[in-house]
Amino acid sequence: MSKKNNRTYEGDSDIKVENPDMIICRCEEITLKEIIQAVSDGATTINQVKRRTRAGMGLCQGRSCGRLVRKLLAERTGKKVSEILPGTVRPPVRPMPLDIMASLEEE
Amino acid sequence: MANSDVVVIGGGIVGSCCAYYLAKAGLKVKLVERGSICTESSKACQGHLFLWELPEINVKLGRESKKLYHQLAEELDIDIELRDTGSMSVAENPAGLNTLKTTIDELHKYGVKCELLDAKEFIKREPNISPQIVGGGYFPEDGQLNPLLTTIAIAMAAQKMGVEILTNTEVVGIELSKDKSSVKAIITSRGKIETSTVVNAAGAWSGLIGEMVGVNIPVIPRKGNLLVVGNVPDNFINCKIILASGYLDSLKGDKKVAVAANVQQTSDGSLLLGSSREFAGFDKAVNPEVISQIAKRCIKFFPALAGMQTIRSWAGLRPYSPDMLPIISDSAVKGFYVASGHEGVGITMGPITGKLITQIIMKQKTDLPVEQLNVSRFAKKK
Ligand SMILES: Cc1cc2nc3c(=O)[nH]c(=O)nc-3n(C[C@H](O)[C@H](O)[C@H](O)COP(=O)(O)OP(=O)(O)OC[C@H]3O[C@@H](n4cnc5c(N)ncnc54)[C@H](O)[C@@H]3O)c2cc1C
Ligand code: FES
Repeated sequence: MSKKNNRTYEGDSDIKVENPDMIICRCEEITLKEIIQAVSDGATTINQVKRRTRAGMGLCQGRSCGRLVRKLLAERTGKKVSEILPGTVRPPVRPMPLDIMASLEEE
Repeated sequence: MANSDVVVIGGGIVGSCCAYYLAKAGLKVKLVERGSICTESSKACQGHLFLWELPEINVKLGRESKKLYHQLAEELDIDIELRDTGSMSVAENPAGLNTLKTTIDELHKYGVKCELLDAKEFIKREPNISPQIVGGGYFPEDGQLNPLLTTIAIAMAAQKMGVEILTNTEVVGIELSKDKSSVKAIITSRGKIETSTVVNAAGAWSGLIGEMVGVNIPVIPRKGNLLVVGNVPDNFINCKIILASGYLDSLKGDKKVAVAANVQQTSDGSLLLGSSREFAGFDKAVNPEVISQIAKRCIKFFPALAGMQTIRSWAGLRPYSPDMLPIISDSAVKGFYVASGHEGVGITMGPITGKLITQIIMKQKTDLPVEQLNVSRFAKKK
């Protein structure tokens, strides 16, 4: 997407977004808008975002979306990214490629 | 409830085998299980008949047991998928190969067939293995079966011979004689059973049963996680069972968590990926970090696994005995016998355990020397 399309989401000057409907969690199809909403509603941890939105509960167990959610949370709560605890990972309830499973512990 | 000659506590592979051989010897047996037959470790495991776990007594127990499985396979009503597959162990570095060499040298002394393979030969036999390996070992005496079907088939055969199987019946206490020297009855969640003889085959829980009579059984749960991979090509593993050489180190009880790689292809073609060993109490929750490590290690040995799908994971509790020898024994309390502590080889050693316990109870000569396996080795010094 071009730089031109970048805009600040709903007055939130510190979160640069391209589109509120951008999918953050591909597995569960959760948009940026929904995650921002969860954070506005008081979620301060990855697990709280997960419980409210299902982001991170999908096949990859937050492997793809976890990093983004963490960054969003850090920006919203004024904490460092490293202070935001990663979410709890659960064993696959649906088929999951082994290489993705193998990389889950790295973060 | 009516009385009986012997009450076996626990309906896993060990308890089922004990009930089977006791009934075969003509005794009146009840098997008491708090859940249903085969719900704990015996359900959660792989089906490797692992005949080269040292020391020598373990090797002997495994080899005798496998002979008994071949007899059982003829008698049982269900096909237990017993196969003489052999197994292989793969080394990723020279240290691992050296561990295997030492093990193989020792096994040769006991007359066990096995050989060291160089990387070229290993890869020729197992084309899916990573070209990075440095070699391995081949253990042709090993075998494989379906542990679930086997446990159930043996329990059913025991029932046919007259064993009364009481499921959903938890043992909550054991009544001793006034001077606490002998067994009088067991107390269950569904009533009392008069008996002078009890076999404690409660697996990872056998220590708790020991406490009921004041016999120290330091068996504790050692969790193992498994991953299942479906849609695997036939003969992905020709030999069906491949362990990383690091498996031998992971057996030692010195770490809280130890992860090796153990890949087994079952009769239906799917793969079971293990293995991990973890002291985490009686918690059976899958440890995501551990299964992730298992996946990583297995991919290291079988790069083609990377694209395959895991469909399920679970964990079970091995009955770990601190010296890695099973307990097959009488005890200081007359009539209280112990068949437990088989850790990662309870499936392998089920039948021989049942047979030896029967011989001990019947005061017959045992097929193998059992002194080393006596629970008195853990008796608290007064
Ligand atoms: C991941 C994994 C892989 C494994 N792979 C292999 C392998 O390839 N080959 C091999 O040989 N072994 C393997 N094992 C080890 C094997 O599973 C165990 O050694 C074996 O199943 C132990 O059998 P058991 O009958 O002693 O225990 P269990 O099967 O656990 O049975 C004990 C039973 O006692 C019952 N019980 C407990 N307390 C009470 C009570 N108070 N009253 C009534 N009932 C009670 C329980 O409900 C349970 O059913 C593996 C284990 C794991 C976890
Ligand atoms: S992208 Fe969110 S769980 Fe996979």
